[in-house]
Amino acid sequence: MAKASSGSGSDKRPVRPNQAGASAPQDPKNRSSQPRPAGQPRQAGQPRPAAARRTAPPPATGFTAFRREHPMMAALVPVALVIVALVALVVVKATGGSSAAPPASKVEAGGASVSTTAGTSALPAGVLSDVTSVSPATLAAIGEPSATVAPSSTGAKTSLTASDGKPEILFIGAEYCPFCAAERWSVVEALSRFGTFSGLSATHSSTSDVYPDTQTFSFYGATYSSASLDFTSVELETNQASGDSYTTLQTPTAAQQALLSKYDKAPYTDQPGSIPFLDIDNKYIGVGSGFTPQVLQGLSMTQIAAQLNNPNSAVATAIDGEANRLVTAITAATGIQPDAATAQGS
Amino acid sequence: MATARRAAPPHWVTTATLGLSLLALGLTAYLTITHYTDPTALACPDTGIVNCTAVTTSAWSVILGVPVALIGLLWAVSMTALDSPWAWRSSARWLDTARLALSGAGAAMVCYLVYVELFRVDAICLWCTAVHVTTIALFGVILAARASMASGAPTGTTGRHGARGRRATSLAP
Repeated sequence: MAKASSGSGSDKRPVRPNQAGASAPQDPKNRSSQPRPAGQPRQAGQPRPAAARRTAPPPATGFTAFRREHPMMAALVPVALVIVALVALVVVKATGGSSAAPPASKVEAGGASVSTTAGTSALPAGVLSDVTSVSPATLAAIGEPSATVAPSSTGAKTSLTASDGKPEILFIGAEYCPFCAAERWSVVEALSRFGTFSGLSATHSSTSDVYPDTQTFSFYGATYSSASLDFTSVELETNQASGDSYTTLQTPTAAQQALLSKYDKAPYTDQPGSIPFLDIDNKYIGVGSGFTPQVLQGLSMTQIAAQLNNPNSAVATAIDGEANRLVTAITAATGIQPDAATAQGS
Repeated sequence: MATARRAAPPHWVTTATLGLSLLALGLTAYLTITHYTDPTALACPDTGIVNCTAVTTSAWSVILGVPVALIGLLWAVSMTALDSPWAWRSSARWLDTARLALSGAGAAMVCYLVYVELFRVDAICLWCTAVHVTTIALFGVILAARASMASGAPTGTTGRHGARGRRATSLAP
């Protein structure tokens, strides 16, 4: 048990240093020091009584003194520090700490000039080859997802044909749209089993929309060549904000607008007028993405593409699975089988 | 050696901490439910800097595969248990330590998440901000409660003198 203070000899009562009659033992190392007269304040330089030295804490300074005088305020110092840190973050942000806008330029990719818009850039090296060379074994292992809705059959008898008579696949989306961003990965992968893309550029969904900054391809300025299919894309808007919306990029033709009016509604979607809109030869309609863009969050195009051949990857399961589903729909709609050689990446 | 007995917390402490914990519980439950159902369904404007879904669906909304909303919900459940009247009345010291540590961790997490919102996502989530304010308030109340209980606590069974007694001895002229 600790004592509050101790007197000399047999006196066990607490002794106050200034108490009349109290005497402190002489410091054996400083015999010259004399106790001050009782009742008088200690002079500067005069040593404190030994009893006081033993019982009193050292003189409080700085935060210790503040804590003794204002225990409640001292206890709240950590909270004050947190608030100061948060205010500092807000001030730094308000005075110019915003993130930089993505680059916008006309770039050269693969030796060919690629038309890009503000917010798009050249496709990173290796991305397209990764997307178009997913092994049949991986595709077979992943199969088709059952958790989300596949493109719906329209039951239409009339095909959507291009001017050259080939069955047409129509994609209508926008660069700012995160669901379009997700779906484009599967569209590129699926259509690459029937033909070849060129001039694809890299873009991302809006940084201020849901699933922000989802990395993806842009179909704007790209071309697709296939012996058996035609592919037409309409990118309605860029990912660059313009007022309350985004800058207009492409406008659908009257025929494309008619298809939107006819199919971009129930029973093909419970959100009429939504994008991405995918019309597969008028036989199958897909509105929305086949998987959640959440799985692509925080990943670069290179990181996404590098996972596509890994059947244990959530990214591959999502993209490859939707691509498998699109291939099935295309084959069912047109009777055209995917090119095995293309699927193997040769 | 006898164990020091902790002073009972003031009534305002149990009321405030339990109230704030329940508020955090409700907010994080809502964020978790919307995360797993429809993240775009959050009742929140999406104009300018305020954009809940941009935050709750961003790459930073998941840590090591676990949604931040779920982490917040688990934290709120723990804090609610630690701030229950039974926990406050308990003399187990680890409860005090856990309460302080969890609330401090929550405040530190708030700093990180606000940084992410401002400098990575470029958007602020109002629902998240409500959780942040609640978390910091809870941290403050718990710290204040500890100070209040320490300064006004009985001396317990060890015979140790409180700060007031020690100060009176040392400062007498």
